[in-house]
Amino acid sequence: MDADPARQDRITALSLIGVEPEAAQSLQAYLIQEPGRFLQTDDTNATVISQTLADAYGVKLGDTLKVPSVNGIETLTVVGILPPRTVPGNEEVLVTLAQAQTMTGQAGQINTIEVALTSLDETLRGETITAIESALGSDYQIGAVQSGSEMFASLKLAQAAFNMFGVLALFMGGFIIFNTFRTVVAERRRDIGMLRALGAKGSTITGMILMEGLLQGLIGSGVGLLLGYLFGAGIVVLIQQPINQFIRLTMGKPVVSPTLVVASVLLGVGITVLSGLIPARNASRITPMDALRPSVAEVEYKRRAGAGFIAGLVMIGIAILALATGNMGFISLGGLLFLLGLILVAPALLRPIAFVFGRLTAWLYARQGTGDLAQGNLTRQPSRVTITASATMIGLAIVVALGGMSTSLSGMMGSLLHKSLGSDYLFIPPSVSVWNSDMGSGSDFTNRLQAIKGVGDISSLRFSGSMVNGQAVSLLGINPETYPKVSGLDFKQGDESAYTALANGRAMIVNGAFLMTIPVKVGDTVELATPNGPQTYTIVAIASDLLNAKVVTGFISQANLAADFGRTDDVFIQLNLKPGVQLADVDAQIKAVAVDYPQFTVIAGKGYIDQMLQLLKAVFAGMYFMLAFLAFPSLIAMVNTLTISVLERTREIGMIRAVGGTRKQVRRMVVAEALLLASVGTAFGILSGMYLGYVIVKALGALFPMTYSFPLSGILAGIAIGLIFGALAAVIPARQAARLQVVEALRYE
Amino acid sequence: MSLIQTENLTKIYGSGETAVTALDHVGIQVKEGEFVAVMGPSGCGKSTLLHLLGGLDRPSEGGVSIDGTAIADMKDDDLTKLRRKRIGFVFQFYNLIPVLTAVENAALPVTLDGVKPAEARKRAAEWLERFGLGDRLNSRPDQLSGGQQQRVAVARALVAEPALILADEPTGNLDTRSGDEIASLLRQVTKEYGRTVVMVTHDPRIAAYADRIIFLKDGKVVDETQLERMGAAEKIANKMKEIGD
Repeated sequence: MDADPARQDRITALSLIGVEPEAAQSLQAYLIQEPGRFLQTDDTNATVISQTLADAYGVKLGDTLKVPSVNGIETLTVVGILPPRTVPGNEEVLVTLAQAQTMTGQAGQINTIEVALTSLDETLRGETITAIESALGSDYQIGAVQSGSEMFASLKLAQAAFNMFGVLALFMGGFIIFNTFRTVVAERRRDIGMLRALGAKGSTITGMILMEGLLQGLIGSGVGLLLGYLFGAGIVVLIQQPINQFIRLTMGKPVVSPTLVVASVLLGVGITVLSGLIPARNASRITPMDALRPSVAEVEYKRRAGAGFIAGLVMIGIAILALATGNMGFISLGGLLFLLGLILVAPALLRPIAFVFGRLTAWLYARQGTGDLAQGNLTRQPSRVTITASATMIGLAIVVALGGMSTSLSGMMGSLLHKSLGSDYLFIPPSVSVWNSDMGSGSDFTNRLQAIKGVGDISSLRFSGSMVNGQAVSLLGINPETYPKVSGLDFKQGDESAYTALANGRAMIVNGAFLMTIPVKVGDTVELATPNGPQTYTIVAIASDLLNAKVVTGFISQANLAADFGRTDDVFIQLNLKPGVQLADVDAQIKAVAVDYPQFTVIAGKGYIDQMLQLLKAVFAGMYFMLAFLAFPSLIAMVNTLTISVLERTREIGMIRAVGGTRKQVRRMVVAEALLLASVGTAFGILSGMYLGYVIVKALGALFPMTYSFPLSGILAGIAIGLIFGALAAVIPARQAARLQVVEALRYE
Repeated sequence: MSLIQTENLTKIYGSGETAVTALDHVGIQVKEGEFVAVMGPSGCGKSTLLHLLGGLDRPSEGGVSIDGTAIADMKDDDLTKLRRKRIGFVFQFYNLIPVLTAVENAALPVTLDGVKPAEARKRAAEWLERFGLGDRLNSRPDQLSGGQQQRVAVARALVAEPALILADEPTGNLDTRSGDEIASLLRQVTKEYGRTVVMVTHDPRIAAYADRIIFLKDGKVVDETQLERMGAAEKIANKMKEIGD
């Protein structure tokens, strides 16, 4: 760029700004360093850049800077240098308006008008602004420039998904805290009884436990905030690289707003105290007698097919009916009902499930005489076991759900990648899908490519931003003839005949994201804002491609894009070779032409697909990492339940040892119990995971054309994780149980 | 020949200044088929003695031999198997497993020994029937009275056909009538089934069912009394007063 052979050129995204020199200087102060000057109206190929940019490329006043344009590389002479930039964002290259219009191929067009109001009087200013607004209509934004609103919409979608994870995590956290408090109360039964005997009131005990919850909630929230910040900072570092492939965007440190801190602390403390409420109330019911009486494990014998069971069944029924409706809102709600329903039904199902799995462990531990015991121990406290199993259930449900999602998603991505990006060559701009920041190329580029012997069909995307009902829309111009040959859309409604419709009039194909923001049907008409006022387009099909799936996008013909929006520059180009031509035959020629258009990265198609699949894998790997965080607490929940169970049965275990149970038998009894517990959680987890997975796939189906594939890998992973967790959870309690001294255990009260 | 023999049996809890001598060089013998009661004031070491006889705890000094086998140096697993086959335990709080039925509870020692469930059940059911619980086989502990629960516990102690039954305050948690029932049941165990029973109690009326009473005080055997059946309780009560209860 700077023609300095010693220094390697870098390609960085720049913003090309065209200004009217005199007007610009009256609106804004440009502090040109001596001895340079600002632009003049009759300048050609002159530019003003900042000191930062000049330093980055080693250019001085009077040097030249090579900048890509729609017509190939343009050589600009630096006539002035501004002080280093202080605001974040792309470096700016200032040229005259006319120069910018030539370089971007947008003759006569402007994106932004800056106006200085002469009066400082608030009312007058307000009136002026209102007058401008009414003159412009709803298709223009007034105020600070806001670009990338399409991207903002897709970010919001991602945020919704993360929030769902957050809710699930909190839900599970609540379960585990509840369980832990129960352990704590069980362990301190005698101490609490003692306090009661000494005259502590029931409410004092409740207060004591709740105060403990409050403190722990505060500590936990604090630690959680810190870890969350570090985790966020880590993610920023990790994903900076992959993101740069798409958008030149430098991420700063994670932002911790006061609202976030307050909300986190409130949620953290709130959930902890709330979860501690029932155990605290139970603790207050401990009588002084409990301090004196041996603690005998309680047994719930009553049949659990009560109101809760029926309510649970009804919820599951509704959830299944919701699936049948196919309505997204109902199905999502159904997901929640399904989870709650399972939790309610669980206590009644525990016995039969434990029985089935009990046969299995009895067979595993044949002639050990402990299988039945484990089964019995598990079913003696159905509600507690259900809570633990629910924690496992949620953890595994997420694993299975995302397993289902990733199976479905990679299948869909693979086929879509091959379909829409399967051309022999791709010319990719710096920012894919947020096209408005890309510098396109003029017809010269495609003409030269076409001229190369062996090059077959060429298809390109052209971009213009527009608005429908005040919503930002990304419009892509395609060539209805070549686009289906080289690339292609995946149709949800309508078919390939829609391409003909595009060629024959003001017709538009819209994608899933478009439907989500602007509810329309095939056959409807919409008004698109164009530089020359609104134009009516008919929607002829609903179809998506991969690159634009997340962005509110309409596809129209390039002829219409040129006529209504004045855009003729290509932002993304795909090219197929003629049959029988090898890559090697044309590769050098194609790259030679592309050198003049450094704004594009040239990739042989298959390579790009591999690259995308690699990225996809990395994303899933990251997701599974997050899952591990969610699944891990269920391990703690299981350890808790088993620990209470061992504590409560200290005397029983002592007795078993006294009448001839070996340490090994006792250990196996606890392990068998853990495995049973894990099996129950796993069984429920897989059931609800399949439902949730279906919900997620269905939700994503609005954006991507995808069908639910059975998540075999997710289910196998779920079973493996469930059983491994079961065995791991048993380690400590089993050892604790086996190590009990018989005499101590028998004396234990 | 004696079924149980102890020599210089000593148990010290803790060490240094806080050391407490629970048993102090105790030497006793129990013959086969004998019903022995161990009595003494609280903290005299009677439960400790029972635990040591049953191999539940290890002596600090001296040793116990059962059937001529010294149990002091046995490995934990071997000791466990000895308990399983040769010794039955009856506890004050019955210690039945709440999730198992009467017959399953009674069958536990043989189940733990690897006897097939059907066979184990059959043997347990036989003992329960002998003890008048034939109609409560499938009841869970919480559906049985204290006396019935303790009878299940005695059945459990006998199911593996052990030579020795050790009972730690077996009537301590029962009303007088049920206590008498259990005590006579234990007597029946020695007289009818030829087992040896060592029972710890502090109730003279219950001790009166035994053939012989060993009195302990401060970890030492202070007296032994062979009982005739008549007026035994008063005699024992006097004896207890004598040793300064």
